[in-house]
Amino acid sequence: MTRMRMAIALAAMAAAAAGGCAPVAPYQRGYLARPDMALEESAGTAKALEKTFAAKEAASGGGSVGGGGCGCN
Amino acid sequence: MQAALALPILAVCAKAGAAEVGEIGISTLGYKERGLMRVIEPVLWGRAQIAEVWEVQASAAVDIITGASPELVTNVSGRPVQSITGASVVDHRTTGDIKVTRRFGDLALSASHAQSNEEDYHSKAYGLEGRVDLDRKRTTLTAGLGHSDDHVGSSIDPTLDAARRTNEYLFGVTQVLSPLAVVQSSLAVSRGKGWYNDPYKLTLTFYPDQAIPVLAGDRRPDHRDTVSWLTRLRRHFPQANGTLQADYRYFRDDWGIRAHTLEVAWQQDVGERFAVRPALRYYTQGAADFYSPVVPRPQPEILSSDQRLGAFGGLSPSLRVTARLEGGLVVEATAGYVVDSRSLRLGGGGSEAFETLRAAYGLVSVSHTF
Repeated sequence: MTRMRMAIALAAMAAAAAGGCAPVAPYQRGYLARPDMALEESAGTAKALEKTFAAKEAASGGGSVGGGGCGCN
Repeated sequence: MQAALALPILAVCAKAGAAEVGEIGISTLGYKERGLMRVIEPVLWGRAQIAEVWEVQASAAVDIITGASPELVTNVSGRPVQSITGASVVDHRTTGDIKVTRRFGDLALSASHAQSNEEDYHSKAYGLEGRVDLDRKRTTLTAGLGHSDDHVGSSIDPTLDAARRTNEYLFGVTQVLSPLAVVQSSLAVSRGKGWYNDPYKLTLTFYPDQAIPVLAGDRRPDHRDTVSWLTRLRRHFPQANGTLQADYRYFRDDWGIRAHTLEVAWQQDVGERFAVRPALRYYTQGAADFYSPVVPRPQPEILSSDQRLGAFGGLSPSLRVTARLEGGLVVEATAGYVVDSRSLRLGGGGSEAFETLRAAYGLVSVSHTF
């Protein structure tokens, strides 16, 4: 079951990468460069809020590696 | 905790050709739980592009934690409840990280290091990440490796010095869907071995047919394997001057925990310089296989009554106001509220002993781009 879900996740990611996307020329990227289109918040905001929730929940992570841990008691 | 080290790939690509070459900022988080902990956390961060192909980003933070912490779950009153110690906890945590990236055309390689130190917890982590832009930067593939080396101590047991080592693997895809939309999906897998027990958590259970209660320490498996699948969508609506931001994360581990996190936000421009961002975050998790608020008979080797391993759900609405001032100065203020309770678990079935948690937080940040 676990392997099947992993396969679904990978397939979905591959599908997102593969097709169904309109061509986007470099001069059409103005909206994509807006700050509110960034996939990650500013470092200060992201770190503070992520730790706040991770200290109270069992789940954490997902977007990066090498972040390390904390006691969070 | 995973620190957020990855820069928004698209933002890096988009800004690489612009005059902007760096940013420095400071933020302060104030967080207060009703009747429990208070946290003040100032964070200083910066990033700079050097010679067009190098980028360095770093941050440093201090957590100042005060208040009471739930240490004991007891059923002395008839049903298991958390017992809050009267003693006030004071703890300081210092943390810092640095990430260096070198671009080679469409390829970018990064190395990172993070450290976190508390009186009873020390963590060192290292990361390597590779990104490649394909199809004229419409698609970006990311792969990463991470390793963390943690040491757990205890302020009530000076002899405790236990190790925990974790390896992490990341694979992600970022795809520009249109001139107005981008999606990113990443899968992170971690394999951990070592000490996961919480030295401050105890379970005290009274049995109706037994005069002497049983006191059990927190005992967890000596390994933890996790999978996090995070997908983010950004879609701008030019006519409305607003952007939809949606993040979904599925999490599972070999302790039996399954969790879902969904955050949806709408960032609305107000004039040229201001924006407001209402957001709602929903979280739900199932209990770990070894979670129990009472000590079963016979007593198992693996047992924890830490309610963070129980079944519950949480809602967190927040509102952010952003002001973009002259000279590249950006001021942000965020106010949020958190409520975690057993009744908010998706599909019901929250752990009966879960004590509702209510907290409020405020976050103010000032940054300057140059």
